[in-house]
Amino acid sequence: MKQIVATVTENARLYGNTYVTWFAAPELLRAAVPGQFLMLRVTVAEPDCRLPCDPLLPRPFSFHRLREGPDGTEWSLLYDVVGRGTQWLASRTPGDAVACWGPLGRGFSVRPTSQQLLLVAGGVGVAPLVWLAEAALADNKSVTLVLGGRSAEQIYPASQLPAEVEVIVTTEDGSLGRRGLATEDFLEHLEWCDQAFACGPNPMFQAMARVMHGNAPRRPVQVLMEEGMACGAGICYGCAVETKKGMRLVCKDGPRFDLRDIF
Amino acid sequence: MNLQLELPGRKQSLLLPNPVMTASGTFSFGLDKGHGFNVQDLGAIVTKTVTLRPRAGNPQPRTAETPAGMLNAIGLQNPGVGALVRDIAPKWARWRVPVIVSILGATVEEYGRLAERLEGMPHISGIEVNISSPNATRGGMEFGQDPQAAAAVTAAVVRGTTLPVIVKLTPNVTDITEVARAVVDAGADALCVINTLQAMAIDAEARKPVISTVFSGLSGPAIKPVALRMVYQVASAVDVPIIGCGGIACGTDAVEFLLAGASAVQVGTATFVSPSAPIDVLNGLKAYMADHGIDDVASLVGAARV
Repeated sequence: MKQIVATVTENARLYGNTYVTWFAAPELLRAAVPGQFLMLRVTVAEPDCRLPCDPLLPRPFSFHRLREGPDGTEWSLLYDVVGRGTQWLASRTPGDAVACWGPLGRGFSVRPTSQQLLLVAGGVGVAPLVWLAEAALADNKSVTLVLGGRSAEQIYPASQLPAEVEVIVTTEDGSLGRRGLATEDFLEHLEWCDQAFACGPNPMFQAMARVMHGNAPRRPVQVLMEEGMACGAGICYGCAVETKKGMRLVCKDGPRFDLRDIF
Repeated sequence: MNLQLELPGRKQSLLLPNPVMTASGTFSFGLDKGHGFNVQDLGAIVTKTVTLRPRAGNPQPRTAETPAGMLNAIGLQNPGVGALVRDIAPKWARWRVPVIVSILGATVEEYGRLAERLEGMPHISGIEVNISSPNATRGGMEFGQDPQAAAAVTAAVVRGTTLPVIVKLTPNVTDITEVARAVVDAGADALCVINTLQAMAIDAEARKPVISTVFSGLSGPAIKPVALRMVYQVASAVDVPIIGCGGIACGTDAVEFLLAGASAVQVGTATFVSPSAPIDVLNGLKAYMADHGIDDVASLVGAARV
């Protein structure tokens, strides 16, 4: 995979501890689809040895959103600042260069016959679902997006979303929207949808699977999984997950999986 | 510029078009696309280690980042030698780059059987004997830490194959030259120096080990000075070719290993950091040779020894 140098065009805290960084590097998108990811260096490349030493490893990020910029299509990343890598990324300023490569993995697959899409986001898992929602709207589909989080600070601002998306907000502490779990909204809207898509922590997927194992309406559910990975390219075997079809690599066989194959 | 080198074997020699290989466990079976260079341009591909039966590997978390390095406890996840012979090896049929298969057994006998399973396969150019993985519950490093056991494994593999036999050594010993001498006496054609250093990480907030298996293997630039020292030591102790491995990330790193006494090098963790690292190392080596007016890569081998 050819590495490219992407230029930061905008970087801002969007809400809570969550940042959005925009990049101008349309060549990275090629045939990318929502749910795919890229690997990004979180250090400036060193001049003699081209590789960084600390932090050593590149980080995986889902594509969050696209927009048209002066130099073609720009893409953005949405992330919580949780460690050295995301701290570094959050402190970039417009004009900074960042080494990255992609698109990687298998993204969401929307059936052409699916007209009504249910999207379920747990916390910053909303990142890849916004592009999916926008692409679906452009395809004349209906989108309901469930935003779940522990509290209001974890909820993506509805004002940032297209007006055509029906947004449902649920927080565990009730500080915004309904008090409860996104899984309850998932069950409530399952009947309505033709296909469901989710991204969030594994316990959320487990709860969704429990719902599906009950007498919930049968609908295909795709989930976007996350696991610690070193390479993003299917060679380190760091991100293996046990599925009902055997061991799979999140980076190469995923990150999109059928919920029923996982839990 | 001559980059070619021959690793002379007792039964067959291994002719490498250049001295830069992939390290076992860092390039899968060489079949993944997306690294952005032509695999055929490398000196050799060393596969992920295969075992007699398929292995699922260890639970998560399997990896962690450390200063200038990483920890891994993948646990030898692999489809087994049967799948390698049946499904994977035929895909190497049109390859000109030599493929070296890494093997690991739970017993001495298993190592012998693995070598026999690979004997006569047309697309395999060599065997790398993994007696150094810190992530095997049985086999692996326990053999590599004991000169007698290491020799027994080597002898079993040598009996089972006509292919060149490379034994990959562990740094987790008091005196690596003792094990090196033992495996060369037992018939090893070449040595790979070194596998990962046994290590661990602790999460201070959670107050528990980071990696599921508690202990794991440290690799990356952090271990390069250790690897260089061990290549230098082993080169003093034995007369077979040495393949240097440990933290090599650029052409200059490769040159340093050659100068210490290695005849070839393997690129491992750097490929996770940059998908094109193996070819970048090769190009960096070529650039060094051009800049310094060196015609034959062999003239670098051991040139820094005092």
